[in-house]
Amino acid sequence: MENKSKKLKAKDFITIGIFTAILFAVEFALGMLGYIHPFIVASYVIILPLASGIPMMLFYTKVEKFGMITIVSVLLAIIMFVGGMGYLGAPLIIISGLVADFIAKSGNYKSFKKTVLSFGVFNLWICSNYFPILVTAESYRKDLIDGGFSAEYANNLFAAINVKTIGILVVLCFVFGCIGAVIGKAVVKKHFEKAGIV
Amino acid sequence: MRLDPRTKLFMVFVVSLIAMMSATTPVLWVIRIIITLIPIVLLILEKKYSSALRFFLAYGIALVLLLFFISENSEGIIASLLIGYCGIVVQFMPALITAWYVIRTTKIGEFMSCMQKMHIPDGIAVSLAVVMRFFPTIKEEYSSINDAMRMRGVMLGGGNVLRMFEFRMIPLLFSCVNIGEELSAAAITRGLGGETKRSSLIELKLGLADYLLMAFLTAATVIFVMYKYFL
Repeated sequence: MENKSKKLKAKDFITIGIFTAILFAVEFALGMLGYIHPFIVASYVIILPLASGIPMMLFYTKVEKFGMITIVSVLLAIIMFVGGMGYLGAPLIIISGLVADFIAKSGNYKSFKKTVLSFGVFNLWICSNYFPILVTAESYRKDLIDGGFSAEYANNLFAAINVKTIGILVVLCFVFGCIGAVIGKAVVKKHFEKAGIV
Repeated sequence: MRLDPRTKLFMVFVVSLIAMMSATTPVLWVIRIIITLIPIVLLILEKKYSSALRFFLAYGIALVLLLFFISENSEGIIASLLIGYCGIVVQFMPALITAWYVIRTTKIGEFMSCMQKMHIPDGIAVSLAVVMRFFPTIKEEYSSINDAMRMRGVMLGGGNVLRMFEFRMIPLLFSCVNIGEELSAAAITRGLGGETKRSSLIELKLGLADYLLMAFLTAATVIFVMYKYFL
């Protein structure tokens, strides 16, 4: 494995595509819950890292080359844009992916600690989707109400996500990212290494 | 009617942009509805009648409910569920319909050739193409896994959320990984990742319809932004 080229090849691009699709499918399924109550929107920082830990940990072991996480984040940014999540968050998504990539690289994509840390950082992309809510708070609120949401929903959303709570959300996101990574690693070990997939 | 993939991508971009800026006045709503109708009309032109009808009904019903029956002050559980449902549909349906249209009517060869013409790096183009192709596969695999689980009597994992999640996620990952192996084998035999520049069988050319549609979309965006932010 060591002698293999460090550059991404066609096969890796396909793997990246597949795992991005899975990641997004998970995110999409859970994201729909957010319309029930705004507090669920805030709790994405807990739910999403835990749920996406398993596929992402499998992904980390499948490619192990620099650029893999960056490309995932670029694709996520594109999908988020098309999905109407706003353009403000897109650069942040890519930055978190790039930083995560560097951290994982420093551990050669093998070190357990670095991988966990890297996944924690990668999960900050979830927070970047809150970014428009913070920066354009006033107009966002008006848009929500005019756009058909009830005032109740908007009020709750801003009670859950505002400038004061964003710090907590970011920290939670990171912590649960790490926990998700540990769980993901354990699950990958339990199921996939036994089966010889990794 | 054949549209150039570049026009389709531009359409996705414009529709997402307009869906993102929420409509607040009647003029804006009109533009938004027109923009949503375009992909539906295009679907009809491509003879995909049933999906066009489905999208039209789903969007129409949600829109009518949202505009006439739900107000700022609605409260209570049914209203909030209804708001949730209609909110999702009205907010995301335009982009969804467009994306669906583009994915269904663009051949992967066309897409790659278009990406090459726009000088998008290969890595992103290939990965994006795979993502585009993979959503239907995930859905298919998931529903067969679900069937298999139900046949063996694993209903909702015995009420345990974690098990329920595990029993569906792990098989899904297994089959996705296997499909990925096959996919890359197939792609590499066709010369993906080779040293030389790839040539394409499909010559892309912008036609009259492309220019008209692009001009129309640009105009719609400009009018939308003007009415929203400057008037």
